[in-house]
Amino acid sequence: MVPFLGHGIGLRTKHFPEVLEAGRRADWFEVITENFLNVGGRPRAVLEAVRADRPVVLHGVSLSIGSVDPLNEEYLRDVRALADAVEPAWVSDHLCWGTFGRHNAHDLLPMPFTEESLAHVVSRVAEVQERLGRRILLENVSSYLTFAVSAISEWDFLSEVARRADCLLLLDVNNVYVSATNHGFDAGEYLRGIPVNRVAQFHLAGHQDLGTHLLDTHDAPVPDPVWSLYRDAVRRFGRVSSLVEWDDHIPPLDEVLAQAERARAFEKSVLEEAPA
Amino acid sequence: MNLSELQGLLHGRITGSVPGRDDELREQVLPRPPLDSLERVEIYARMYLFRLVDAVAEDVPHTARILGHDGFVEAVRDYLREHPSRSPDIGQVGQHFGAWLRSREGIRSDLPDLAMLERARSEVRTAADAPAAGAEALQSLPPEGLPGARFLFCPSLRILRLQHDVRALWDALEAEGEAPPPAPGPTTVVVWRQELKVFHTGLSEAEAAALMVAREDGSLEDVCATFAHEPEPARAAFKTVLSWFADGWVAAVTSQRA
Repeated sequence: MVPFLGHGIGLRTKHFPEVLEAGRRADWFEVITENFLNVGGRPRAVLEAVRADRPVVLHGVSLSIGSVDPLNEEYLRDVRALADAVEPAWVSDHLCWGTFGRHNAHDLLPMPFTEESLAHVVSRVAEVQERLGRRILLENVSSYLTFAVSAISEWDFLSEVARRADCLLLLDVNNVYVSATNHGFDAGEYLRGIPVNRVAQFHLAGHQDLGTHLLDTHDAPVPDPVWSLYRDAVRRFGRVSSLVEWDDHIPPLDEVLAQAERARAFEKSVLEEAPA
Repeated sequence: MNLSELQGLLHGRITGSVPGRDDELREQVLPRPPLDSLERVEIYARMYLFRLVDAVAEDVPHTARILGHDGFVEAVRDYLREHPSRSPDIGQVGQHFGAWLRSREGIRSDLPDLAMLERARSEVRTAADAPAAGAEALQSLPPEGLPGARFLFCPSLRILRLQHDVRALWDALEAEGEAPPPAPGPTTVVVWRQELKVFHTGLSEAEAAALMVAREDGSLEDVCATFAHEPEPARAAFKTVLSWFADGWVAAVTSQRA
């Protein structure tokens, strides 16, 4: 399993001055892998400064593990080189696809939950873990559509990928809530369907209610229903590193750090609850 | 429909590369009130366009401001048809936008050059680090090695050959002021980084020629030859080469060909 890192936040460009010059820190930082591949200048300087005294995790958005395109070997080499340089606590990406014919949609598109998809993803996770020289974490994505061909639930699919490929899971609590609302499934059933020993990290974020659906926007504080689901997740999975994502309309660093402190407080209160 | 066919169908619709196929999409994507199958796919199509519009705008904020919101979105939509993203890094999607703008009608004549300058500044900001060499690197060579000395430049150095001098335009937009009229005429602009700060400056024709020769593995002797028509060739060459070191453009000097 991976170490418990506490309650972190995503490292974003807007906060670079406060992080680099004022030395402000969370328990740990997650960085978007692609923003740091083959770069120098301020991003690299901030990453090195943060890594000098805090754990860092590499979180990718372009692995496209579920795509039928061949794996991008150059990309994997670059990720491996960055991981070797930064020595992150772990490397994660999403259980989704985004490329077709080498054309990158830069989106986290949902998989059809079929045996064919499962076999495809499992074989690619094994290849990626081999290339990167480490186990990876895969994250559940928010989704706005489901495929007629899907034969099993999302949580069964995710669990089976983790079991067969022997990888770990990054459980995005906000994504569970968003997808549960959009597709009408029970978020509690989702959590109960995920094996306890596979979950190595939580994501927390805000979303927008557009009336017809929830959109995973990462542009607002974590809303109460997601905090409630987070408490359920802590009850089931125990003490797991959490990470607050805030990617748009980014507020001052203190506000994001306050969300991480809220996660710490909720975790503490749940873990102190008397066993039922 | 197998996994490959399904991904091709959805990807084509979302990115606009293969429009239509409505009946197949209705068959493959489940409706769920209040949204039907195509409306669910459309959520992704809208996000695709606006995510990439944001990515290009991050590179060229002043160009985007001049085009206006609708004009910029329309321009990026057309650009993406010819230059779909091939990189895992969304930050690379706008790398051809300035050059592509040259073929666009009905825009300010200097807008492609402004976009190229903005993109270069964006690239330089995050280009790979390399320690800059001082002029002593040149002085350390034996006298007989000087004519054949060659320069290795820092990876953050960019040389732009523009059709307009857009420096005053960039300054005005940076200060949130009024855009001056276009200033036509070939201009060479160099963009570079010192520590974490990005700079750009214009070069005279002689300076530009010297720098291009040096970038293409020309020797110090070749560089000096580009100043042959100057009133004081040796002095001009010496001054120019020293400025490369002073501005931190040179990473190393070698007596070997690249």
